[in-house]
Amino acid sequence: MTTSAGPVTTAHDPFVHPALFYRDEQEYLDGTVSFVREGLAAGEPVAVAVPGERLRLIGDALGGDAAHVRLLDMREAGRNPGRIIPGVLRAFADSHPAGQRVRIIGEPIWAGRTETEYPACVQHEALINAAFRGRAVTILCPYDAVRLPGPVLDDAYATHPTVIPAGSRAVRDSAAYAPDAVVSRYNEPLPPVADAMTFPFVAESLTAARHAATDEGRRLGLTGVTLEDLALATAELTTNSVLHGGGSGVLRIWAEDGHVLCDVRDGGRLTDPLAGRRPAAGGRRGGRGLLLVNLIADLVRVHTGDDGTTIRCWFPRRRP
Amino acid sequence: MSDSRQRTPDGPEGPRPILTVRPLEGCGGVRAAGEVGLGTHMIWERVLEQAVRGGETVYYLELSEVTFVDVAGAGALVAAAERLGDGRRFVVRRPPPGLRRVLEMLWPDQPGVEVSTT
Repeated sequence: MTTSAGPVTTAHDPFVHPALFYRDEQEYLDGTVSFVREGLAAGEPVAVAVPGERLRLIGDALGGDAAHVRLLDMREAGRNPGRIIPGVLRAFADSHPAGQRVRIIGEPIWAGRTETEYPACVQHEALINAAFRGRAVTILCPYDAVRLPGPVLDDAYATHPTVIPAGSRAVRDSAAYAPDAVVSRYNEPLPPVADAMTFPFVAESLTAARHAATDEGRRLGLTGVTLEDLALATAELTTNSVLHGGGSGVLRIWAEDGHVLCDVRDGGRLTDPLAGRRPAAGGRRGGRGLLLVNLIADLVRVHTGDDGTTIRCWFPRRRP
Repeated sequence: MSDSRQRTPDGPEGPRPILTVRPLEGCGGVRAAGEVGLGTHMIWERVLEQAVRGGETVYYLELSEVTFVDVAGAGALVAAAERLGDGRRFVVRRPPPGLRRVLEMLWPDQPGVEVSTT
């Protein structure tokens, strides 16, 4: 593996992104703890973002070294997969000098992720490759080879250029690596909605659309910060439709299980797969609305194509 | 600063966004009322531009009568604050809760923007 700063090609990309398959706690710790210790020994900044119970396992195994590692509960920091790149991975990588290799363990897909969440999770894993192309960053993604369904494990071979098979220490190239195809394949139509408050909008009715969303959100049980978040998300998504989605759109608000959902559909096509996944600082001026939505919502799903774009986001009725 | 007002009658689409701005008495800054969104960004950015060009060390934005500020409005505030330089800053008084949320999420630790709840 080269870390040369020369022309970036796939073959010489300094970005390293292996999937680590594990069958039990011991294999998990063998793979993750050695990865952390190698980084610390090389003087690299190290972060670990995995579900809380596994974070404790790694922290205990590291002992005193844990104090030198940034530890994050992925169930919180990465609840919405769309915020993991800007809010977790780039937030850590960008806080160190360019050229200084950083090392991160990121486990965004765990047994228990729902079918509704999964398309956003796997698209996130695929988009990491585009987001970090050319950068001196190593991101190791553990996969539970026992409890995750077979198709999920197959997808990990398509979203990671290299893999570490269960029980192995050897890093192998993944012949199935095809991240763009994964992004396209999971660009799925969103599940139909039975009954929702529906509000068609144009530029002149953006304020009315936001008020309608807030009224409906309140009626459905949102309060405080979460109700503010619904208003912010509605404003950003409807404004994007007016500016970039053909000038108009349709807003829908409804409740589903423990969430209030906000869905905005317009006639535009989202052509930038990293929209809403670049950090605000130093980034381009547009796209920050979608970044905010990613940061505040529990889940964001997108479907885009020739027929238009739908963005749906989930807000919790009660913060657990 | 002269009064800057823009108001359109309510149309069939419902209330049009408005943002009115008037000078604060006794200190450099303005009291704004209404909302900052697509329909009022030009007024908001004009206020911020005048603040950058003026010489005040502290420029007050009294926002207790502002009901909403979107991400572009918050971004314009941060961009203006970055152009203040030399220890100058905005003090944003009693903003709508969403503005504080947007600043915390997207632009934490901005030395040029101080949020005050009093």
